[in-house]
Amino acid sequence: MSVLRPTFLSRGSAGRHQRAGMAFAVPAALVFLVVLAYPVFESFRTSLYNIDLLTGEASFAGFGNYTDLLADSTLRQTVGNTALWTVGSLAGQLALGLAAALLIDSDWRGMRWIRQLLLIPYVVPVIATALIWQWMLDGQYGVLGHALQSAGAVPEGSTPLGLEGSSLWTVIVVNVWRGFPFAMLVYWARMQSIDREQYEAAQVDGAGAWREFRHITLPNLRSATIALLALRGIWTLMYFELVWLLSRGGPAGSSEVLSTYIYKLVMGEFRVGYAAAVATSAGLLLAAVGTIGWLTYRTSTRRRAHA
Amino acid sequence: MPSTLTGPPRVVTRPPAATATRSRRPSPARVASVAGRVVALALIVFFAVGPILWMAVSSIRPADELFQSDPSLVPSDVTGSWYREVFAGSEALRWFANSFVVAVASTVISLAVGTTAGYAVTRFTFPGRRVLLAGLSVAYIFPAILLLVPLYLALNSLGLVGGLAGIVVAHVTITLPLTTWLMKSFVEAVPRELEEAAWVDGLGYFRGFLMVTLPLLRTGLATTAMFSFILSWDEYLFASVIGQGDNVTAPVAMAGFVTSFDIRWGAIMALSTLVTVPVVALFFVLQRYYEKGLTAGSVKG
Repeated sequence: MSVLRPTFLSRGSAGRHQRAGMAFAVPAALVFLVVLAYPVFESFRTSLYNIDLLTGEASFAGFGNYTDLLADSTLRQTVGNTALWTVGSLAGQLALGLAAALLIDSDWRGMRWIRQLLLIPYVVPVIATALIWQWMLDGQYGVLGHALQSAGAVPEGSTPLGLEGSSLWTVIVVNVWRGFPFAMLVYWARMQSIDREQYEAAQVDGAGAWREFRHITLPNLRSATIALLALRGIWTLMYFELVWLLSRGGPAGSSEVLSTYIYKLVMGEFRVGYAAAVATSAGLLLAAVGTIGWLTYRTSTRRRAHA
Repeated sequence: MPSTLTGPPRVVTRPPAATATRSRRPSPARVASVAGRVVALALIVFFAVGPILWMAVSSIRPADELFQSDPSLVPSDVTGSWYREVFAGSEALRWFANSFVVAVASTVISLAVGTTAGYAVTRFTFPGRRVLLAGLSVAYIFPAILLLVPLYLALNSLGLVGGLAGIVVAHVTITLPLTTWLMKSFVEAVPRELEEAAWVDGLGYFRGFLMVTLPLLRTGLATTAMFSFILSWDEYLFASVIGQGDNVTAPVAMAGFVTSFDIRWGAIMALSTLVTVPVVALFFVLQRYYEKGLTAGSVKG
């Protein structure tokens, strides 16, 4: 028997074991190949063609779609919006999530119920979220729209979702509403595992609540923050549904983000090849951001392990 | 507490914090800080829950009260007319039935595939295991919008665009990474010795999995199924591109409802309430597992 023969082909129990493992994994591997790996490859291939969805005609364009990216001024505005959307959403979600986590981190009676209530925005279907906020912000009859008009924040009869100056910010606020419970839960879970003796020692030293927070709680939440930034960062960068359902990227592209732009290119303009080029570039950007995030996370945990 | 060198040696027992503060008269600073906490907590609960209550209230308000320029917070009258309008005047039942069928089908498929995969990567070493794990992580964070073009083209060439089956396939791309990830963590919690005993007893790998491991995964399977169901029930992007005509899911139909009618907010809020209720009900049934699943597996969205 050849030495080079892989274990999973051997007759012994080790070979049987490996073959069993592969058999269990085969369905998932097939699905991953067919609906994920192949589409990613196909997406890149598509980006090299000009395709007309209506006629089904395709002509090879080389990297023409990619050079078009550079000249696309709408895309430039969209990238700027996407950056603001991501940074604004993350900052809001993490700040509010942290505040909420600090507030629910007590043993008051009924706190368990309050925690459940605070999680609900994260559970509500996104379509309902969008419709609720559209209704509340409605320019004619919306309870918030009316309040904003009375306060003089928006002109009479208009909704902040319909104004170029405020549409993106409004969508960000709704995204903070929807996403802060997740940050709260992650922070709160991390707080449960902070060694209570650190706080007791601080109390002996006469440290106030602020110094306890600053010198014990916050440093312990470091890894949770990095994990949240990486995960939520990637999801938020390419999150489609909420922006689309709230504002359709409008008015006049003022709340257009990369995901809604890709959607419009495909479904509205049928420019499939160009959409694939935008998607592929966005995917590469994400991979870069993800790698940087992962490396930061790894070095920061390493450094702490050595300290 | 400073230790004393004088006096008899004693065991320092700290009274529970709660009784300690109760027995002492609370200082004004402490009262103020507790009051501040209560106010902040009330504000944040109001921010979180207010919009949902407003949705429910709006769905049962009579039209004349709904369309006031200065709406009152508490409805003076209650009506079921918006719900009647939704069911009589639209295909709402069909949309919800479609959503239910799609969510159940994609959950069953991804649970079957995801559980065996989760089992394979935790219990076995085999060539390609690391690749599968890496692919799993990438798939897990892979944004759906980047799959839009190729998935649409693939489903189109298979003739699956326009039908519920196409939506199911698309939803499996979203639910499968989640179910595999969650089931992996649930399999890890099952003691390995039980299966190894079954293997030694001559049950074989597959019967060992079916008869020993699977029954122990009941809670995990239920939890994962709920998450998968919610994910599919909630999904809009793929469903909007693939579903056509009668074959649309509730979120897609609802999005169309807003633009096609003169905007009937009462009916829209009734629909929103209907689409929210099953998900929130599942959440309260599952709350114990929900937090664990969220933090362990981390759900997209």
